[in-house]
Amino acid sequence: MATINLVDLKKNYGSVPAVKGINLSVKDGELIVLVGPSGCGKSTLLRMVAGLESVTSGRIEIAGRDVVKAEPAERDIAMVFQNYALYPHMTVRQNLEYGLKNRGTPREEIDRRVKEAADILEIGPMLDRKPRQLSGGQRQRVAMGRAIVREPAAFLFDEPLSNLDAKLRVQMRVEIRKLQRRLKTTSLYVTHDQLEAMTLADRLVVMNNGLVEQLGTPTEVYDRPATLFVAGFIGSPPMNLLSLESIAGAPGFEGLNLPDGTDVIGIRPDQLVLDQPTGQNLALAASVELLEPIGGESHLHVRLTGSNQAVILSVPGRPDIAEGAAVTLYARPADLHPFNRESGRRTDTAVANP
Amino acid sequence: MVENRPFLSFLTHLVLIVGVVIVVFPVYLAFVASTHGNGDFLSGLVPLLPGPNLIENYRLMLTEGISTAGAPPLWIMLGNSLVIAIIIAVGKIAISLLSAYAIVFFKFPFRLLAFWIIFITLMLPVEVRIIPTFKVVADLGLLNSYVGLTLPLIASATATFLFRQFFLTIPDELMEAARVDGAGPLKFFRDILLPLSRTNIAALFVILFIYGWVQYLWPLLVTTDSRYYTVVMGIKRLAATADGEPQWHLVMAAVMLAMLPPVLVVIFMQRLFVKGLVETEK
Ligand SMILES: Nc1ncnc2c1ncn2[C@@H]1O[C@H](COP(=O)(O)OP(=O)(O)OP(=O)(O)O)[C@@H](O)[C@H]1O
Ligand SMILES: [Mg+2]
Repeated sequence: MATINLVDLKKNYGSVPAVKGINLSVKDGELIVLVGPSGCGKSTLLRMVAGLESVTSGRIEIAGRDVVKAEPAERDIAMVFQNYALYPHMTVRQNLEYGLKNRGTPREEIDRRVKEAADILEIGPMLDRKPRQLSGGQRQRVAMGRAIVREPAAFLFDEPLSNLDAKLRVQMRVEIRKLQRRLKTTSLYVTHDQLEAMTLADRLVVMNNGLVEQLGTPTEVYDRPATLFVAGFIGSPPMNLLSLESIAGAPGFEGLNLPDGTDVIGIRPDQLVLDQPTGQNLALAASVELLEPIGGESHLHVRLTGSNQAVILSVPGRPDIAEGAAVTLYARPADLHPFNRESGRRTDTAVANP
Repeated sequence: MVENRPFLSFLTHLVLIVGVVIVVFPVYLAFVASTHGNGDFLSGLVPLLPGPNLIENYRLMLTEGISTAGAPPLWIMLGNSLVIAIIIAVGKIAISLLSAYAIVFFKFPFRLLAFWIIFITLMLPVEVRIIPTFKVVADLGLLNSYVGLTLPLIASATATFLFRQFFLTIPDELMEAARVDGAGPLKFFRDILLPLSRTNIAALFVILFIYGWVQYLWPLLVTTDSRYYTVVMGIKRLAATADGEPQWHLVMAAVMLAMLPPVLVVIFMQRLFVKGLVETEK
C-alpha cells in the first residue's frame, strides 16, 4: 500500500518525445486507469514507473521514496504484462515463487502466500502445470498471481486483458476490480479499451500525445470532457462535434446563451432525441442515412439539413424509420458541450451540467 | 502429402533402401574386414562375410596398437579424442552462450560491431588461419598438450550466431518480468535463459562433439608425441606403415572403434532432442 507521485515526468527516445511532462498523484489504494490512443505514451509511462525504462527528467515517488534511480526489483512494484511473460520452463508454482525466492523470503511464508494467491485466483489445481498447458485465461490468472504473491506497494498492469476473447475479458475485468478492492493495492492500469477504463477506474487519466488531457472519475470525464480530444475519445459511439455555423439557424439556438469563444458544440448520441422534450430545446432538421439495429438500441446515422454534417444518435429499441426520411433531432441546452476549436478546450468551466 | 498409392510407396521405399545400402555398405565392409586375420586381403578379393578374428583384432588394437607404425594403443588415442572433443564442445558452447548473451541482452557501445567481427570470423576456418595459429601455439609452448589441441578450435562464430538467433526470439517481457522479480543478469542467465536453451545446447553439443572428434589436420600438426595422438589422425599413421602392406584388418578395427563414440553421442542425445521437440518450451 502506497501512494505514487509523478512529477513533471518526461521521456525522450533520442530526440523524439514520448512522454512530455506528466504530473499525477495516485492515492493509497486507488486504481488509476491510463487510457488513450495507440502510441500516446501509456506503456512508456507505466514502464518508467516500473523502472524498465529510463527517465529523461522528472521524479517518480513510490510510498514517498524517490525511485528514479532504483532497479525495478527495489521499487516494490509488481507488473502484469500484456503477453503474461510467464517463465515457460517453470511450473505455475515455480512461477509464483520465483520473485519471492530471489528476495530470500522464508519457505513457510512463500508457501502461505502461494496458497493464498492460488485460492483467491482459483488456480490451485494447476500449480504443477507448465504455462503452455494452460488456457489464455488461466495464464492471465497466473500472471496476476505472480503479482499478488509479492504483496507489493503497487500493481502495474499493461493491457493485461487484450489477449483474451471478449467474453473472458469482461469476466476478468470484473475479477480484477474485485481483487483490487479486496487487496486495496494502489494500481496503475493501462488500456486502450474505454469500456475497461470506465468500469475499472477510480480515476481515469486520458492521455494523448504524451500529455494528460484530463484526469477525473469516469463519470466526470464522461459527463464533462475537458477537451475536444476527450470528447471524441471517450464514449461509443463518439460524441457528435458540430460546428457552430451548422446549427446557428436552428430553432431554439437563440436561447442557448453559449460562453464566449465557443465554436464547436458537442452532443452525445444518446442525448439527441426524436421526440420533442418539454422545456427549452434545440431542434435540428436532418435526413436519415442509415439505421443500425444493435440489439436493445439502434444507431441512427443522419445528415443535418443545410450544413450536411453527419450526426449519430443512439435511440432505444428499433424505431420504424425509413432511410431518406426527414427527422427532427432535439437536444436540451444542458446536454450541450461547448468547445473552442483553437484551444481544444471547453469554454464553460464553471459548474457541472445538471 | 500422405497418399495411399502402392506404386508410390514402393518407389519411396526403394529409394530409401538404395540410400541406406549406399551409406551402410562401406561401413559393413570395414566391419567385415576387421574380423579377419592377417593376409586375408592379400589375394585381392575382399571377403563379404565376417571372419573369426573379431575379438583378437580388437583386443590387439585396444591394448597394444601397432608399434611398427609408431601408433600407441588405441585406448590412449580414443581417450585423447574423447577429452579433446568434449573440451571443444563444452568450451565452444560456454563461450558462445556468453557472447550471444552479451550481444543480445546488453546495450554497450559497439555491440553491433562486436557481433559482426565475430560473424566475419565464420569465414576463417582453422585451415585458413592454420599457419599463424601454429606459430602462436608453438611460441606459447603449447605443442603436444591438450590446451594446444583444443584452444585454437574453441572460439566459435557459428554457435554464437545460433544462440543469438535463439535469444532474439525470447520476448523482452520475459527479461523484464525477471528484473521485476529481482533476478539480476546472472540469475536471469542461469534460471531462465539456460533452461530455455537446453534443446539448442543439446543439438549443438552433438554437432560440436563430432566436429571435435573428426579434427584431423590440427592434431596432426601440433602433436609429435604419441601420447597426444587422436584416433582420427592415428588411423592415418596406422595405414601408412613404412614397411610393406598395411595391416588392413587392424586398421579397420581401429576405424570401427573410432566411429563408435560419435554414434553413441547421437543416439544418446537424440532422446534429449525428441523430448525437447515434444514439449516445446515456448
Ligand atoms: N524503444 C523505443 N524507441 C523509440 N521510440 C519508442 C520506443 N518505445 C516507444 N516509442 C515511441 O513512444 C511513443 C509511445 O509509445 P508507447 O508504447 O508508450 O505507446 P502506447 O500508448 O503504449 O501505445 P499502445 O496502446 O499501442 O500500446 C510511440 O510514439 C512510440 O513510437
Ligand atoms: Mg502499450
